Amino acid sequence: MSTEDDTLRPEDFADAALAAITDAAGHDIAGAAGLLAEAGLLGISAAEDDGGLGLGLEFALSLAAIAGRENLGFPFVEQMLLARAFAGTPQAAALIAGELVATIAWQGDVGLGLASQAPFAGVCGAVLVARDGEAVLFERESLQVSEDPALDPERPQSWLGLAGAREIAVLDTEGFAALRREARLLQGAYVTGLAEAALETTAAYLETRTQFGRPLSAKQAVRHSLARMKLLVEKNKAALARALAADEFGAARDARAAFVTAAADAGFVLERAIHLHGAMGFTWEVPLHRALRAVRKIDAAFDTPAALRGLGKTFIDAA
Amino acid sequence: MTYQTDVTIPDPAQGRELYRAHARSWLAANLPEHMRSDSLAYRAPTLEECTLWERAMHRAGLAGMTWPTEYGGFGLTLREHLAVNKEIGALMMPESVGSVGKELAGPIIMAVGTEAQKAEFLPRILRLEDYWCQGFSEPDAGSDLARLRTKAELEGETWRINGQKIWTSGAMKATYCLLLARTGTVADKHKGLVMFAVPMNSPGITVRPIKSIDGKESFAEVFFNNVEVADSLRLGAPDEGWSAAIRVLSIERATNRMYRPWRFEAELRSLLRACKSDAVLARRLDDSDVQRRVGEIVGQIDGLKGLIEASVEHLESGAPIGARGSLSKFYWSECHQAFAGFAYDLLAQVGPQSSPLARRAKAHFTTGYLFARAETIYAGVSEVQLDIIAQRILNLAKDK
Ligand SMILES: Cc1cc2nc3c(=O)[nH]c(=O)nc-3n(C[C@H](O)[C@H](O)[C@H](O)COP(=O)(O)OP(=O)(O)OC[C@H]3O[C@@H](n4cnc5c(N)ncnc54)[C@H](O)[C@@H]3O)c2cc1C
Repeated sequence: MSTEDDTLRPEDFADAALAAITDAAGHDIAGAAGLLAEAGLLGISAAEDDGGLGLGLEFALSLAAIAGRENLGFPFVEQMLLARAFAGTPQAAALIAGELVATIAWQGDVGLGLASQAPFAGVCGAVLVARDGEAVLFERESLQVSEDPALDPERPQSWLGLAGAREIAVLDTEGFAALRREARLLQGAYVTGLAEAALETTAAYLETRTQFGRPLSAKQAVRHSLARMKLLVEKNKAALARALAADEFGAARDARAAFVTAAADAGFVLERAIHLHGAMGFTWEVPLHRALRAVRKIDAAFDTPAALRGLGKTFIDAA
Repeated sequence: MTYQTDVTIPDPAQGRELYRAHARSWLAANLPEHMRSDSLAYRAPTLEECTLWERAMHRAGLAGMTWPTEYGGFGLTLREHLAVNKEIGALMMPESVGSVGKELAGPIIMAVGTEAQKAEFLPRILRLEDYWCQGFSEPDAGSDLARLRTKAELEGETWRINGQKIWTSGAMKATYCLLLARTGTVADKHKGLVMFAVPMNSPGITVRPIKSIDGKESFAEVFFNNVEVADSLRLGAPDEGWSAAIRVLSIERATNRMYRPWRFEAELRSLLRACKSDAVLARRLDDSDVQRRVGEIVGQIDGLKGLIEASVEHLESGAPIGARGSLSKFYWSECHQAFAGFAYDLLAQVGPQSSPLARRAKAHFTTGYLFARAETIYAGVSEVQLDIIAQRILNLAKDK
């Protein structure tokens, strides 16, 4: 990284990123990929040799939060992760340029013959699937995709059959472990972005919704609900920023606690946001339900209830 | 008890990790076994033992990190303060007996005191030659502190104080009281509040201890009957009392006892170790509900660490404390209080048949459970913290 880059901060990208992300939201997957690539977002933290910007992961984290706020219909986090993980391969260059759109099956394994929880698998060109510690990037065309619209009919979850799957590239065990650690940070930022946007929408709504002759935001019960939501959002942002940074002794921090908690709290914030909108929150028109579905899909993708238990068990075993 | 005093205090400019490593090794080598509440050798330390321990910590560079060297401090930043607090938190050592001085009175004197006041009070606070108490709350002024009545009238160079404080922690041992009083009437609310350093041996002061939920006399009523206080003991301008008080409270919430998440983690670990030492309790740890609850607590501790570290970075960047402290005060007290209930429940069946460590833990966490009732009350009740977050962080409209 050049000295000039060292003075660059993630905030400096925020406006341009937001513009590109809102723009991308109005396009199909290929169009969105082109726009995001053009703005330099897909390779923000990927190697410069592959066409990326070579900036630290804090930049990707900040973009993930913005994409979360916009609930972008694109496997943005997955694409950024893959572009970093496959550094030095033609796939990385294609991912950064937006010529290839790829996603990650967060559950399943080649050994089981089944994979699932790959966001936007139906419209992607490639899917990464775990294989006994390492991971394989498969051509999506070669997989049997069956969609599950129960939670989200617009952006369904999917089950992937792997019979006859064609390999594009392999990510070694170390690379896949690093990708999973980074995924917790970026997905944590993504769900916290979803929660933060919902909180802001809800606070703004309650400042204008008048009942009992006053805005509902004047009621202490409402204010306290919003204050708790704000606390959780701020706390999770701080915890994720902390997990990203090395400790005093230079060691990387575990991101599990920050991620699992961020996901659980995002669900809570979204549910409260819907409640605080009254019947309006129950409508299709108010997009809070979309954000809730997005959070719940991430919960399913990472099996956060089990991860929470695992966090406890790990601490108990180490005590 | 003698403590290692020939200590070389590291220069943090040589490496960020040095100060934390220094704190870690000094504390591990010097903390007496009987002061560790997770040790079978534990016995409640006396005031004198705690005082000697804290004096030794100060000599080792583990108190007054951010205070200027001319006042007995080490002239470092909040980052070293935090590094030390992480290590203080990691050990189950007694709570400071000088924290009101070190964390409230000291910073306020530093902010609004005269040069003479700083030179007089600050080194004595760090050397633990004075114990301070905080005289803010009154019978009719709790959450609504601005309704306090204690009156301060200036007669020549002397103030005459009349009134009553309540819930004053540590008043029995205190040599000074950080007193908030008013020059006018209650109708003036925030205006006309004035702060003093009142010697507790002044004629006219009566301290009446109040027995608290844990059976101890941890706080008191303090009566001021025509107490004369020299004007040289006034802290800040006569009208500055409220802003100084708000600053004290913001500090109390944001930077006071910064070790909390690390202590919380140490408590959780010691609870689990105690469970593992006992055959019956060890089986409870296989329960998935217990594992999930521990996972939640681990996540909360992690979030608290994030909030505290973010506050430190925020302050180091030169930004004011503002309302941020309300985030950590609220979250810490709510989570820790819930943890205290969890710990108590886990250990409730521990009896003579149980392992020695489990019995030690039961004694510790039962008192802890009772004391935790105070956590959502002192330093501002939870509801007030939420009010502050809504008002000052979310800027929520009250009326159109
Ligand atoms: C262990 C302990 C140590 C203390 N040490 C000191 C000390 O050293 N010095 C000192 O000056 N004070 C001290 N205090 C006092 C402490 O600051 C007060 O107890 C606190 O400010 C609350 O005041 P209160 O007890 O009068 O409760 P109140 O103000 O009477 O409140 C009672 C309850 O009403 C509710 N409530 C209050 N305000 C609101 C609101 N705005 N909205 C909604 N609900 C509300 C809350 O549930 C609250 O718990 C200590 C208290 C404790 C418990």
